[in-house]
Amino acid sequence: MNVKIILKRLLFLVLVIWAASTIVFFVPRLSPRSAIRERFGELARTGGFSPGDMEKLIASMEKQFGLDKPLLEQYFQYLNNVIHLDFGYSLSKYPSTVTQLIAQALPWSIGLLLVTTILSFAIGTVLGAIAAWPRAPGWLRSTATPFILLTGVPPVIMGILLVFFIGFRLKWLPLGGAYSVGIVPTFSWTFFFDLMRHQILPALSLILGSVGGWVLSMRGMGVTIQGEDYVNFAEHKGLTGRRIFRDYYLRNAMLPQVTALALALGTVVTSAIIVEGLFGLPGVGTLLNLAIRANDFPVIYGVVLFITIAVATLMTVLEFIYPLLDPRIRNQ
Amino acid sequence: MVRLTFAAALTSLALALTPITTFAQDAPSPAAAADIVPASLPEVPRNQTVVLAWGVSSGATIGTTNPWSVPPTYTHQEGNNLLWEPLMYFAIYKNEFIPWLADSMDYTDDTFTTLVIKLNAQAQWSDGTPVTSKDVVYTFQGQIDNERLQYHNQFSQEVASVTAVDELTVEVKFNAPAPRFKFEVLTEKFDTGISIVPEAYLSAQADPTAAPGRDEIPHSGPFNVVAWNNTQKILDLRPDWWAVKAGRVAEPAVKRVIMVNILNQPIDTVAQRIVNNEFDSSVDMRAQIIGTILEQNPDVQSWTGKESPYGYLDWWPNSLWVNTQLEPYSDPNVRKAISLAIDRNLIDEILYEGADIATIYPFPLYPNLQAFADSPEVKAEEAKYEPGKFDPEESAKLMTEAGFTQNGDGLWEKDGKTFDATIQAFETIHGDIAPVLAEMLRNAGFDANVNFGTDAYQNMTDGKAGLYLFGHGASLFDPFEALNLYDSDFAAAAGAPADAGRFSRYSNPEYDALINEISPLDSSDPKFIAGAAKALGIYWRDTIDIPVIQWLHRIPYNNHYWTNWPSASNPGLGTNGAFWAHTGMLVITGLQPSGN
Repeated sequence: MNVKIILKRLLFLVLVIWAASTIVFFVPRLSPRSAIRERFGELARTGGFSPGDMEKLIASMEKQFGLDKPLLEQYFQYLNNVIHLDFGYSLSKYPSTVTQLIAQALPWSIGLLLVTTILSFAIGTVLGAIAAWPRAPGWLRSTATPFILLTGVPPVIMGILLVFFIGFRLKWLPLGGAYSVGIVPTFSWTFFFDLMRHQILPALSLILGSVGGWVLSMRGMGVTIQGEDYVNFAEHKGLTGRRIFRDYYLRNAMLPQVTALALALGTVVTSAIIVEGLFGLPGVGTLLNLAIRANDFPVIYGVVLFITIAVATLMTVLEFIYPLLDPRIRNQ
Repeated sequence: MVRLTFAAALTSLALALTPITTFAQDAPSPAAAADIVPASLPEVPRNQTVVLAWGVSSGATIGTTNPWSVPPTYTHQEGNNLLWEPLMYFAIYKNEFIPWLADSMDYTDDTFTTLVIKLNAQAQWSDGTPVTSKDVVYTFQGQIDNERLQYHNQFSQEVASVTAVDELTVEVKFNAPAPRFKFEVLTEKFDTGISIVPEAYLSAQADPTAAPGRDEIPHSGPFNVVAWNNTQKILDLRPDWWAVKAGRVAEPAVKRVIMVNILNQPIDTVAQRIVNNEFDSSVDMRAQIIGTILEQNPDVQSWTGKESPYGYLDWWPNSLWVNTQLEPYSDPNVRKAISLAIDRNLIDEILYEGADIATIYPFPLYPNLQAFADSPEVKAEEAKYEPGKFDPEESAKLMTEAGFTQNGDGLWEKDGKTFDATIQAFETIHGDIAPVLAEMLRNAGFDANVNFGTDAYQNMTDGKAGLYLFGHGASLFDPFEALNLYDSDFAAAAGAPADAGRFSRYSNPEYDALINEISPLDSSDPKFIAGAAKALGIYWRDTIDIPVIQWLHRIPYNNHYWTNWPSASNPGLGTNGAFWAHTGMLVITGLQPSGN
C-alpha cells in the first residue's frame, strides 16, 4: 500500500465525516418541532409547569441556544464547533454539554456492547471453524448446534425471556439497572462484581442470538477452504493438525469474518438502543433514545456523529490492518 | 511498505481515539462535572430505606437543586420536593390548608388586597439559620424581577408590594383583589405553588437563577442530597429538621430515599421489580399493569386497595381540544356533534370497570369543586346544554346542518374531503383511552385515527387540524383558573403557537365579561358561583373543548418494607399520593416500617 492510497483513504474518511455531520445537522431541523417548546409541554403535562407567557420564555431560550439565527449561520457555526469536537449544550439537560453526556454514557456502551460483539465474534468464529474441521471430534463439532438454533433471535426477545425467567421467576440475577440500587460506584472488587452481575443478562441477550451467525459464516468458509491446494499441501508436508488448523485454515477463513466484524460494530448501536433500554442501562443507546424523544438535536447529532466517526475510522483502520493479515493485499 | 502501513494504522487509530480522548479532556470526569459523589456513604438498612422508581424522558440536570434554576434544568419531581418547603400545603382530600413554614396566611379583609403571612418561629434552614421574612420577601421579589421564573406573571401583574413587617411577618399588597393568590401561588399542592428559597445563599450568587445548588444550597426540607448520578439520586434524612421540633410531624422513620432512574426501561420490567420488592413505589401505571402487580404481590396496594380503578383523582382532567379558529372546528355545532358521538358510560365500562371517571367538567371534582358542580346554578346549566349526552343521531343531524354528507364509507365529507378527526395524543399516557375515542368517533362517521407521533405536541401548539387529547392543569379549589383558560387574552392568533392547555384559541366577549366579573370574587361569594356557572354554561353551549375523562394516578405502593401509604381508606394528611408531587414529602415522612 503506497502513500497515495493511504492519503486517499484518509481523505475519504474526512469526506464521510463531513457528509455525516451535514446530514445529521439538517435532518432533525426539517421537522417543525421545537425541542424547547416540547420540553415545556412535557413539564406542563407531568409537572404543572405553565408560566403565564411560555412563548416569551421559549423565545428567550431559543436565543440563548442560538436557534433564532438563520439556518446557514447555525450550520457554519456548527461545522466550526464539530472541527473542535464541541457539540454544544443539550437542550433538554442544559447546562450539560453533549460532550459530557456522551462521555458519561460511553463507558457503559463500550463495556457491554463492544465486549459482547467481540466475544460473539470470537466464540462464533472458533466454534464455526471447529464445526467445519473434519479432524475435530464429533462432540466438539456439535457444540455450535445450540447457538445455530438461536441464530436470529433478536436481542430484545432474548432479553425479555432472560429477564422473565432468570431475573423475575428464578431471581438469580438482577432485573435491570447498571448496578445495585443504593450502591455508589467505587474502585473496589465489591462494586466490580456487582457491576458484572448486572451485565450478565444484557450480555447474554446479545451474545446468545448472534454467535450462531458467526458460526455459520465461519463454517461455510471453513468447508470451502478444506479442498484448497495449500491445505492439501500442508497435510502432505506432514504438519500437525493444530498447525494446519491455526496457520493454513483459520487464518485464511478469517478475512471475510474480520470484514463482517467491522460492519457488525456499526450495528452495535441498534442493539444498544434496544438492550440498554430493556435493562435500564445508561449507555449511548439510551442517551440517543431519550434525545430523540425530546427532540434534543444537539445530542442527536452529537451521538450520531460520534458513532459515524468511530465506525468510519474503524473501517479505515481495518483497511490498514488488512495487509498485515493477507500479504497479497500489500502489493495491490 | 509494511512500516508505512503500520504508521497509517497507528494514525487512523489515533484519529479514532481522538474523539474519545478529547471528550475525556474536554469534559471533566462526570464526578467532577455534575455528579454528586459522597466521600463515603453510610450504610442504611433496606428496611429504613425507601426505593422509588422514577424516570422521565429528559429529567432535570444532575446536581440542580436550586428551585430558581429555570426548567428544564430544575424539577421538584425527582426528589427535590424533599428539600424545599412552602408557606403552606393544601390537603386536597380534606379541603384544608396545612400550615408549614407559615403559621398563618390571611387576607386582612374581604377586599382581598392585603395578605399577611406569619412565619413559624422555629423554621430553620439546613445550615441552622432561621427562615425569616427576609427570605420570603427575597423569594417574592425574585419572582417579580425575573421574567424567567415560573410565577413571574402572577407576581408582576398582581403584587403591588412585599414588605417585611418584622422578622416573622410579611405583608403582601395587591394591585387588585386577588382572592386566589394565596391558594394558587403561595400554597403547594400537586405540582404547583412556590417554595421559599434562602436569601443569604442566593443573593450571594452572581446569577441566582444559574447557580445549580448541588448539595451546598441551604434548604428547609427534611432530607439532604448525598449522592446523585444518572442512575440514581440518594437523599438522607437530616437529624435537625425543624418541623419535628416545631411539632409539625413526628420524627420520620424513613432514613434514606433512593430515586432510581428507570431511564426508558419498559414498564413491564419496572412492574416486575415492584413484584420482587426491589421498589417500594413507582411512576403511575396503566390499569392492566397495576392490576397484574396487585395480583402477583399481596404486599402491594393501590389508592383503592386491590380494587379497580386503583387510582386517585389527579389534577389533569382530559378533553379533546380543537382549534376553534379553524374550519370546520370553528362551528360550535360541529364541536357539539363530536361530543354527542362520545359515549362516556361506555368509557367508564371499558376502561375503568364501571367507576365514574368520564367527565363533563374541565376541572377535577375535588371537594370544593364537587360542591360547585352540585350547586343549583351549575345543575341548571347542565340541564340546559346536556354536555354529557351520547346521541349519534343528533350528532348526525348537526353534521348535516353544518353541510357535511356521509360518503360510501359512512364518513362525513364536505367539498370532497372527509372530516379530519385525527386525535393527537401521547402513547405513554393515552395508550388506553385514545383508541377507544377514535373508534367511537369513527362509528359516528368522523375520519378518526390516533397520532402518537413525536410531533403530537407540536401539532397542538401549532393549532393543526384534528383533535388534541390534553389536560387542564388549572383548577383545584374553585373553577376560576379552568374557566380562565378560555379567556380571549389567551387566544393565540392563527399562525402563532398556543400555550399548553390553551389550545382552543377561543374568543368571546360575552365570556370574557363573565370572567372579569368573577375574577375579584372569592369562590364562596354567591355572585362568584352564579357567574362561574354561567361561564361554564357557555363552555358547554359552545363546546369550547370536549371534556372526556378525569385523570387517575394509579400508583403501586409496596407494603413489604413500608406501610401507611396514603389511600382512599387511609388519606393521612389528605394530600394526593404521588411521591413526586410537592406534597410527596408529606407522604414519605409519614411512612411507617412494616417490620420486615
